[in-house]
Amino acid sequence: MKVNLNKREPVYVQVVRHFKEQIAAGNYEPGQEIPSRRELANQLKINPNTAQRAYKEMEEQGLIFTEGNNPSRITKDGKVIGTVREELIIQAVDAFITSIRPINIPVDDLVGLIKEKYTEIERNTRGDSNDRS
Amino acid sequence: MIEVKELTKKFGRKTVLNGVSFTAEKGQITCLIGINGVGKTTIMNAIMALTPINGGEILINGEKIHKHSYEKITFIPDAITMLPQMKISETMQFMADFYDCWNQKRADEILQFFKLREDNRLSELSKGNTAKVNLMLGLAMDVDFLLMDEPFSGIDIFSREQIADVFSSHLVEDRGVLITTHEINDIEHLIDKAVLLNNGIVSKEFNTEEIRENEGKSVVDMMREVYQG
Repeated sequence: MKVNLNKREPVYVQVVRHFKEQIAAGNYEPGQEIPSRRELANQLKINPNTAQRAYKEMEEQGLIFTEGNNPSRITKDGKVIGTVREELIIQAVDAFITSIRPINIPVDDLVGLIKEKYTEIERNTRGDSNDRS
Repeated sequence: MIEVKELTKKFGRKTVLNGVSFTAEKGQITCLIGINGVGKTTIMNAIMALTPINGGEILINGEKIHKHSYEKITFIPDAITMLPQMKISETMQFMADFYDCWNQKRADEILQFFKLREDNRLSELSKGNTAKVNLMLGLAMDVDFLLMDEPFSGIDIFSREQIADVFSSHLVEDRGVLITTHEINDIEHLIDKAVLLNNGIVSKEFNTEEIRENEGKSVVDMMREVYQG
């Protein structure tokens, strides 16, 4: 696990976002066990108190749950997972629009270009996985 | 908790510390930051009662330091104080003979963590590995508070990374750490609290996550305001 940390944003916020990305992408499956707070601090090289804060935040948002003294797990609530996915997509699209807007490209041209690039990237990544096999 | 209250220290006619106050809590990593010569090491020496002070007081868990305090708090100086011809095993024996709070099991664990071998002599070690032995000798003590003076100073980047890893590990679990450094980049994400010293006083004392959350500033941004503002 590797997260490039921004120095001007609270670390716990960045950790929560990292988990949301992993959940949205399906890298963390519903009900999957996650590292302990101490293990996470060690893996990400962050302060253990910050890891604790991130887990508390994720528990409050319903992203993870802990039963008794067992390790924490990713939520099994499909609705929460759907909301996380939606939230990340909207955020990414907003960021994209903010950076493309000043260039003044007509939206139809833009959509065409996105489709073209997207197909290209998917073709390339498929090519990569063929190479590996 | 370590409480430094209105600490004043003079060297001859020069006032180096002019009413320094801050706290370092158990279970947190507190970082004393300041340019060279600002008095960081003097503060550590004062906490350990290794140097007389001209004013103010220092409390450890609410008490003034006395001889039993040395079983609660340990100071890791910026350079190793053992003889170069000693083997690592002999440095550990030395500590075991002197301190009741020496924990050999933890020492062995730290040697493994740093990938050091106990039959090596200090004179055979690189600067980085010598720094790790120095750190091990303090970390292996079962104390509530660890003071570390410039643990990253003058060593290679990989040794610095390994030493930084200590701070996110169980090796400092639940203990209070007070560290001085000017290499903040190595530990910016690892500390709970920063204390910025300037002109003999504490200019700023803040929780690093709070300053990121409330002001969108990094520790270096805060340092820039104090030292270049």
